Amino acid sequence: GDSWGIFAFLCAALCNLPAVPALNGTEELGAGQSIQKTYDLTRYLEHQLRTLAGTYLNYLGPPFNEPDFNPPRLARAERVPSATVDLDLWRGLTDNARLAANYRAYSRLLCYLRGLDGQVGAVELRHRLGHFCSSLQGLVLSIAGVMSSLGYPLPAGPAGPPLPPGSSAAPNDFLKKMDDFWLLKELQTWLWRSAKDFNRLKKKVPPAVVTLRLETRGF
Amino acid sequence: DSHIQYERVGADVTMKCGSMDWDAAVTWMANGTDIDDSHLNGSYLILKNVDLTQSGQYFCYEGSSWHLKYQTILRVGVPPKEPVLMCRSNNYPKGFYCSWHLPSPTYIPNTFNISVIHGTREMVCEKDVFPKNRCHIRYLQLFSTVKYKVTLTVTNALGKNSTSLTFDEFAIVKPDPPESVVAKPVPNNPRRLEVSWQNPSSWPDPESFPLKFFLRYRPLILDQWQHVELSDGTSHTITDAYAGKEYIIQVAAKDNDIGTWSDWSVAVHATPWTEEPKHLTTEVQITETTSTSTSSFMPPPTTKICDKGAGVGSGAVAVCWTAGLVLAAYGVLFI
Repeated sequence: GDSWGIFAFLCAALCNLPAVPALNGTEELGAGQSIQKTYDLTRYLEHQLRTLAGTYLNYLGPPFNEPDFNPPRLARAERVPSATVDLDLWRGLTDNARLAANYRAYSRLLCYLRGLDGQVGAVELRHRLGHFCSSLQGLVLSIAGVMSSLGYPLPAGPAGPPLPPGSSAAPNDFLKKMDDFWLLKELQTWLWRSAKDFNRLKKKVPPAVVTLRLETRGF
Repeated sequence: DSHIQYERVGADVTMKCGSMDWDAAVTWMANGTDIDDSHLNGSYLILKNVDLTQSGQYFCYEGSSWHLKYQTILRVGVPPKEPVLMCRSNNYPKGFYCSWHLPSPTYIPNTFNISVIHGTREMVCEKDVFPKNRCHIRYLQLFSTVKYKVTLTVTNALGKNSTSLTFDEFAIVKPDPPESVVAKPVPNNPRRLEVSWQNPSSWPDPESFPLKFFLRYRPLILDQWQHVELSDGTSHTITDAYAGKEYIIQVAAKDNDIGTWSDWSVAVHATPWTEEPKHLTTEVQITETTSTSTSSFMPPPTTKICDKGAGVGSGAVAVCWTAGLVLAAYGVLFI
């Protein structure tokens, strides 16, 4: 109970620090290549998450690991950044807004995930979570790289007001598990959305490097 | 006044002749034939263990006056079995459609009612004019974490039944197969086939939601398919076709990131280019070269090259010369 509140406070404090500037390496690549790399990362993470989510939901136990589990969305779940967006709004997003939304979402999701990491008893699961968090951090940095190479300012920190300590403490074990369930669900949906976001960005920003495809002839 | 009466197969049906007394003298007729007295209990018509053949129009006439006292239409049928429901998004991100059918007929009219619930919101699934038994929904939001629950209820005069589907937005994405698949031989290339196709026309936004493709091909004489997965582009050149063999080729599509593969496209047939057969008696000297083949148990393919020294006829020579020039040109490009 209390530990979740303390953690949330720490998370909010840490997450409001200025974002880490993009690595020098990414600035040398054209924006197009960075977008491709970021796209590839989202696909890799989505794949990783499938295994991780399955293991974690089993750890939570029923009904969370049942495939038909379809709970109503409680108001408290609104803290987790949602990928859901109006269709026309999503289409009309500027490149900057699109990237910023991704950056903010993953920064916060990363924070929450790190919280999970600290609480899980099973060693195997902790390893997996830790590995996933590292990869997710890589994605956040990759997005930052794309933004800076396109000349967009990095968002100051995760969107939304810092969470007041104690307000996000789950009053009981079941609700805490619900929080975890929704976190994983939103993360998965964000990764699907990002693939589409980066597809759109790919088309608008031509790759700086043209790769020659050599086809072997039958002669 | 006639009315319709629905009864279950196997039921016992008792028809009363309107307001006539039980002991009145009546004649019953069904579809133009008299019904004999063995089925009568007084003026009531008793049909035991009815079957489908007993559906039809029944008339009851007063004994002597032949006034029509009662008529009814009997429809024998069964209550509906659990319907089969399927939902699919072949036009992501616009929306999805659901279609349904009954696994076995009921022989009487049925009405279908479909409800779609997304979280707390009830959405309207607009019924299609054609085909019937289909409705479509437009997405209002994209990338939703909340599942959709679709419930179909089928009702008829003898009972009702229903079924439900619950799914995530991404799980039901399945494009239609690629269209306009064309396979053509490549002149002067006996081992090539050029395949091209188009995105399914139902896929609204291939720019933002690109499709990837799966091509499969085999010569008609073999059972085993060869597969190629293509992450972009709507064409591909097969370079390992067996010379002179007719091929069958199909393509399938899938959203790059989500959902499942489409059904296979309509199959197209094509045979790789072969040299024109020679009609004249003079033998043309043919050099056979064996190119590397990847599977060891298949006969090595041969490439016939026209020897430019052969003098058979002007037409044949022209072909040989052209082949030679083309080969030379390729050689220069790729050395």
